[in-house]
Amino acid sequence: MKHELSVMMFSWEFPPRVIGGISPHVYFLSKSLARNGVKVYVVTCDFPDTPAHEVIDGVEVYRVDSYKNPAPDFATWVYLMNLNMQREAAAIVNKVADKIDVFHAHDWLVATACIGLKHVFRKPLLTTMHSTEIGRRDGLHTDTERMIHETEAWLTYEAWRVICCSNYMVSHVKWAFGLPEDKLAMVPNGVNTSVYEGIEKENLKEFRAKFALPEEKIVLYVGRLVYEKGIHVLINAVPKILEKVNAKFLIVGNGYMKDQLLNIARSMRLEHKILFLGFVDEATLVKLQKCADVSVVPSLFEPFGIVALEAMAAKSPVVVSDTGGLSEIVEHDVTGVKVYPNNPESLAWGITKVLLDENYSRYVSENAYRKVRENFDWNRIAEQTMQIYRAVLGEYSKSFWA
Amino acid sequence: MHVIIFSWEYPPRVVGQLAEYVRLLAAELVKNRVDVHVVTYHDFLTGAVEEPDGVKVFRVANPVRTHVGILTWALTLNQEVERAAASIYYQVGKQVALVDVHDWHFIPAAVTLKNAFGLPFAYSVESLEDHRAPPANTPYSMSIKSIEWLGFYEAQRVCVKSEWMRDEIVRIHAVPKGKITVVKPKANSWIRDILAMYKSMAGGAGKN
Repeated sequence: MKHELSVMMFSWEFPPRVIGGISPHVYFLSKSLARNGVKVYVVTCDFPDTPAHEVIDGVEVYRVDSYKNPAPDFATWVYLMNLNMQREAAAIVNKVADKIDVFHAHDWLVATACIGLKHVFRKPLLTTMHSTEIGRRDGLHTDTERMIHETEAWLTYEAWRVICCSNYMVSHVKWAFGLPEDKLAMVPNGVNTSVYEGIEKENLKEFRAKFALPEEKIVLYVGRLVYEKGIHVLINAVPKILEKVNAKFLIVGNGYMKDQLLNIARSMRLEHKILFLGFVDEATLVKLQKCADVSVVPSLFEPFGIVALEAMAAKSPVVVSDTGGLSEIVEHDVTGVKVYPNNPESLAWGITKVLLDENYSRYVSENAYRKVRENFDWNRIAEQTMQIYRAVLGEYSKSFWA
Repeated sequence: MHVIIFSWEYPPRVVGQLAEYVRLLAAELVKNRVDVHVVTYHDFLTGAVEEPDGVKVFRVANPVRTHVGILTWALTLNQEVERAAASIYYQVGKQVALVDVHDWHFIPAAVTLKNAFGLPFAYSVESLEDHRAPPANTPYSMSIKSIEWLGFYEAQRVCVKSEWMRDEIVRIHAVPKGKITVVKPKANSWIRDILAMYKSMAGGAGKN
């Protein structure tokens, strides 16, 4: 079948390999593009018991052996993984019947593979910048951080267009790398609402009982346990919340701060109130989001904030810190509660307010659900992305590479 | 015959013996009517220049200035090596016969060009990590060794300067002996031997 457009996406994570928000993003974007008639190839890292090549709803997924070379540290591993990714992608480009029209890189983690392929095959490169090192670390403090920052700058330099998922990220990326305005495009992140359909909170009593007592409200955090996500702010807010309302805090995700956070919970003698669940599978996560009496996103730096959207799709009221993409997703007192970033008192206030006022909680969660369905639909996002591809290919067709 | 030579050192940037060897090799190849394109690294001399002895030299710099080790430096630099090599490839109407890559630094670029263009490469070995940093069992050395191994695996020919080195490569990396050509730099037949190896490789080149 001849396609109007074909794109090769690069991402270091793709389901079932899920580390952060890029994995679901690339998964749904690819599927929606395929549904709209685009031929999509995804090149990503391998995962145990997952095939090296499979077709998922029309999307050709290639998984590269990403631990082939021993590496002394994470950043070096990334570049070595890119070596293998580039090598296999070059062979795939040669092998596939449809020629590739554009390369699309998701974050610096696939930068070097994509930059090389752009020049070797002379096809336009686009990138979606999901985050930045300077934002994640709140500045550049080490050589590793500077190196990653410079790799990001290089990727945005080589890219024909730089896509960001929020207006906040557009201005942040523009500032961080000194990019011209017309190189940037905003396409929001989407959320898959269908996984939450047909699951009713009332039918989850047995499931809920595994995590909390019937009289306990469930406060849910979903995210990596890293500084930028502000999970420590939530842990610090726990005693203040417990003064007003009986609740269980469920923490989903892993990260380098885990041991530190466990120690804090232990020293506060709140181990019975804060459950660290680690990484959970998709089905469990969906049920947890359905059960949550409030979902909290306390990030200090948040380019977009997909977990807030997921919670809204699950009809769970959200409390988010007023920063980055979260500021654009949530309208205070209408679709959720916004609190001051890095402020446990403010966060405790927001969570307590939602937990104690059921009418308010229902009101914001219903508004939020409506907003998500209207504005963050993957089909619409795929169309916006295709428009960018077409615009780039139009400009490319006039270049000497064409 | 267009030949692209990759070397991480080339005059005026001299690190060890390799720079002078590659300079001489390129100059001798030009005398034998080979179109020689050298892709190399320099901190600030960038772009393409024609050297006095008729060698076309492409010097690339690393767009990433801060590094945590030679590995990240080499791996990022490879993209610029690919950019230069691809420019040569398209400029000469895709008529490049082969790539001759000296030591491990630019193996990744050679591997990508092979997979992308069906362009064969020779891996010319000046030295091995096992000899540079014995016992070569730190994470750094093992990583570099894995790139050397990739080079041996993907190369069409391995070119060494002594029988001793050939046997070391067989011993350390389990490369089939028949894949390795010994060409002695001091021999009178040196450049003829190199040309013979190039010609044997170019014959098998797939083109797209």
